[in-house]
Amino acid sequence: MNTPDSPPSPDRVVVVGAEAGPNVDSWSQIVRLEHGGDGSFAAIIREQVGRTPVAGLAKLEAQLLRALADPAVTAAGRDFLCSQLALVGSAAAVPVLGRLLAAEASADAARVALERLPGAEAAAALLAGLSSLSGRARIGLVGSIGARRSPGARETLSRLAGDAGEHAEIRAIATRALALLRPASTGPAA
Amino acid sequence: MGRRRFLQLGSLAAAAPLILPAKLRGAAAPSNLIHVAIIGTGNIAEGHLKTLLGYPERVRIVAVCDVDRERRDRAAALVDAAYGSRGCSSVNDFREVTRRADVDAVWVCTPDHWHALIALDAVRHGKDAYVEKPLTFTIEEGRALVSAAREHGRVVQHGTQHRSMKRFFDAAGYVRSGGLGKLERIEVAIPPNNRFIGSSWTPEPIPATLDWDLWLGPTPWRPYHSAGCHYNFRFIADCANGQVANWGAHYLDIGQWALNADDSGPIAVEGHGHFPTSGLFTCATHVDFTCHYANGIPMSCRTRQDGGGTVRFIGERGWIDIARNAMSASSPDLLREMQRPGKSVTLARSDNHHENFLDCIRSRARPVADVEIGHRTTTVCNLGQIAMTLGRKLRWDPVTESFPDDPVANRLRGRAARSPWSLV
Repeated sequence: MNTPDSPPSPDRVVVVGAEAGPNVDSWSQIVRLEHGGDGSFAAIIREQVGRTPVAGLAKLEAQLLRALADPAVTAAGRDFLCSQLALVGSAAAVPVLGRLLAAEASADAARVALERLPGAEAAAALLAGLSSLSGRARIGLVGSIGARRSPGARETLSRLAGDAGEHAEIRAIATRALALLRPASTGPAA
Repeated sequence: MGRRRFLQLGSLAAAAPLILPAKLRGAAAPSNLIHVAIIGTGNIAEGHLKTLLGYPERVRIVAVCDVDRERRDRAAALVDAAYGSRGCSSVNDFREVTRRADVDAVWVCTPDHWHALIALDAVRHGKDAYVEKPLTFTIEEGRALVSAAREHGRVVQHGTQHRSMKRFFDAAGYVRSGGLGKLERIEVAIPPNNRFIGSSWTPEPIPATLDWDLWLGPTPWRPYHSAGCHYNFRFIADCANGQVANWGAHYLDIGQWALNADDSGPIAVEGHGHFPTSGLFTCATHVDFTCHYANGIPMSCRTRQDGGGTVRFIGERGWIDIARNAMSASSPDLLREMQRPGKSVTLARSDNHHENFLDCIRSRARPVADVEIGHRTTTVCNLGQIAMTLGRKLRWDPVTESFPDDPVANRLRGRAARSPWSLV
């Protein structure tokens, strides 16, 4: 349908080059990130994440994990750092993310990363999260386990699908996830 | 939405069918109307509502749904006034309509970050769906929706109504038929993002009429701000891909059509964008990316500051430039040729996007902007967004729908949803 857009007046458009930003250490500032506050440090780190060659990703991952371990990190900072680990994290990030997954307040942030991480370690961490999460977080967790389409989750998903004690939404997600494990019903690998 | 409310809805049993859905009624039944629910009742939905109310002999709008009570109640009042009744339900949660037995089809008119999950829930519960553009927010969402639509045998029309406009039909057919001679390139222009509130913002109280938790749905949590909700969501990268997926979805779609790429796509993409470094709006304010196709044709997409969207085809005989409300060419002869019938390549024809969808609900044929076509076009938008985010040239395999040699790009094909939502 029509999308009524008029051109902006040039003086009201933010056009900031990706190379722009204050000459301060973004890694020390990112832990203070708040919704609505200065986002330039996050933008700089986001650009680093996007532009770093594969050979440099391990070092970048370590920087993200160091920032995440800062006791002063805000919830917004934690969420942002996890969103970047979702792109460049590896098995090295799993222990930290696994601990965050176990706490309801940080479970979503950790799951956002773990769902996208390749490897058996991340898959195992998500399965382990079932022992600690309930309610909304548990439903989301089962969705993440299903989204990975990992054959190793088949047994757990089967149990969840058939467990009358689980929430109906969990049983439904587990049932659909099992169907996705059947090769004939899947599209291109996720 | 509180946990108790969610858990109640999670167990929602199909409501007792007060009205038989069309698929259970005989074709000759006097009340053989397609029962429709509109999900999302903002500015895009207004056009759909008015159009659908113009088909009283074919369509009955039985429910409207929006997380903004004022908007949904206004929409319900409009429907009731048109029908002279009080029968249009007004609900907050989409599952109250996607799981209703008497609903045949839904119109998904929500912000982009909700398109996939709502459409998925609809097709899984036996509904046909008209999904506004872009079809989905991520590539993985799009593939999941295509798979579900096929598995459940549902008709899904993508809201790229240019496919049902003669000038775009003519242009795509003309290019496909060699009217421009050898095609050299395609250039898509899109308008700029046009919202700005500053490099910082202060969270605001959530209006009493708005279910902000459900508005956010699968997208990462953030506090409410009035400038970051209705309409403007499209300039926030957690919710949408800016004008690339807004206007770009329309014009890139015509490029895909002309390239005969409705079931495939480019093999490489490169580009760069200017992304704001702070503030509520995080989508690129200047877009510039190019997709490369296996036949050697590049299709670019760039922001223009001096006008709206357009698609330009450049070939050895000249160029044609087609917009929703204007056409131009390097020679008037080309436009005259373009509009003549009898091209060597005949494309699927629709003169009316709504009617095409309604016809397909009856016939079970695939609509002119079928879900696979919509997914492939939306993927082009996503590829451009990913290339601009990473700032490097990426190879793309349209068969496996993956980047063969870029693991970071592959992770950008999808994202994990905020609890309790998921793509599964």
